Amino acid sequence: MILTNLRVPVTEFTELTGWEAKPEGMCRGELCVPAPGALDNGMVNVEAAAGKLGMPLVHEPAHGVWALGVSTATGRALTSAKAVFPSSLIDGTSNDNTTFDFTSLRGRRMIMVAWASW
Amino acid sequence: MALDINPDHARPWIAAAKPTHPSLIDTTHCTDELFGFINVPMAVWIDENGMLVRPAETANIERSPLRDREIPDGLPDRIAKMMREVKEIPDDSEAYREALLDWMRNGADSPYVMNPEQVVTASRPIAENHARAAACFAMGEHLHRTVGHHAAVPWWREAHALDPENWTYKRQAWTLVTTPEGAAENDLMQGPNDVYDGNWLDDVLRLGGGKSYAVRPRFDRPER
Repeated sequence: MILTNLRVPVTEFTELTGWEAKPEGMCRGELCVPAPGALDNGMVNVEAAAGKLGMPLVHEPAHGVWALGVSTATGRALTSAKAVFPSSLIDGTSNDNTTFDFTSLRGRRMIMVAWASW
Repeated sequence: MALDINPDHARPWIAAAKPTHPSLIDTTHCTDELFGFINVPMAVWIDENGMLVRPAETANIERSPLRDREIPDGLPDRIAKMMREVKEIPDDSEAYREALLDWMRNGADSPYVMNPEQVVTASRPIAENHARAAACFAMGEHLHRTVGHHAAVPWWREAHALDPENWTYKRQAWTLVTTPEGAAENDLMQGPNDVYDGNWLDDVLRLGGGKSYAVRPRFDRPER
């Protein structure tokens, strides 16, 4: 997750990481991690949230950006079985970088296969 | 879904396949982290409620012809060694296909479906170095796109060092430096180069050879 500011809207943080900032803590699926200070007036204090979720934050000062790693909260690649569908995936059948809307697959079983040209 | 920073590298393959299913391109590798992909081909199964019922695992549905191809005499040494390692990659294609078809037929009643706790437990163990590698790779991808390839290299080198078993981080980066400019297809050899410490063959050998290359699916019919 790339950031240009260490305070981001709750919805944006959820969209990119799957973690939702709630009064009780940072939550994903059934898992909630207490994170005092992470939710601040509708914004996520990224440093506070990342610290509690075990998400490394790296900084590139020359370009004013941060990148947030995955959570180590469960010690596993997945912190929840609830799938998070990113909105940034491109429809590969179009040539204009149109993004794909996963709501079109709602209610259907799917297998998401990762492949690559390399 | 193609994990390709440059979508134009993936599009010709999609066009040739004429897919009847959605065919996506993940230019930022965000699904590496969201689903746990560390190589290709890997897949996750997602049920009607949007729940993962199997974690990321190698997903072949047919045996690769490369496994059965004889290695001709006289090949350059590196190519012969690569072919030998490819033949060592475990083949679970038959079991995977059977499991997938069973899930298609039986849905939640399939014995191959895991409950949420099992899915999380069966996903890859990660520690701080793996999580930091994800941040470094994401930073490199961003800088590659917004600044230029040179800006990405230090971050990708760091990602490779932190998480050497993540082949998506390495293969994606290697191919960008070993493919000649203007080439019609990516260089799949991904051999020694001046930019990165590793390369496909030497890293495969260092990490246990072809037999250790894939995240094998486990079909021991988990209890639910």
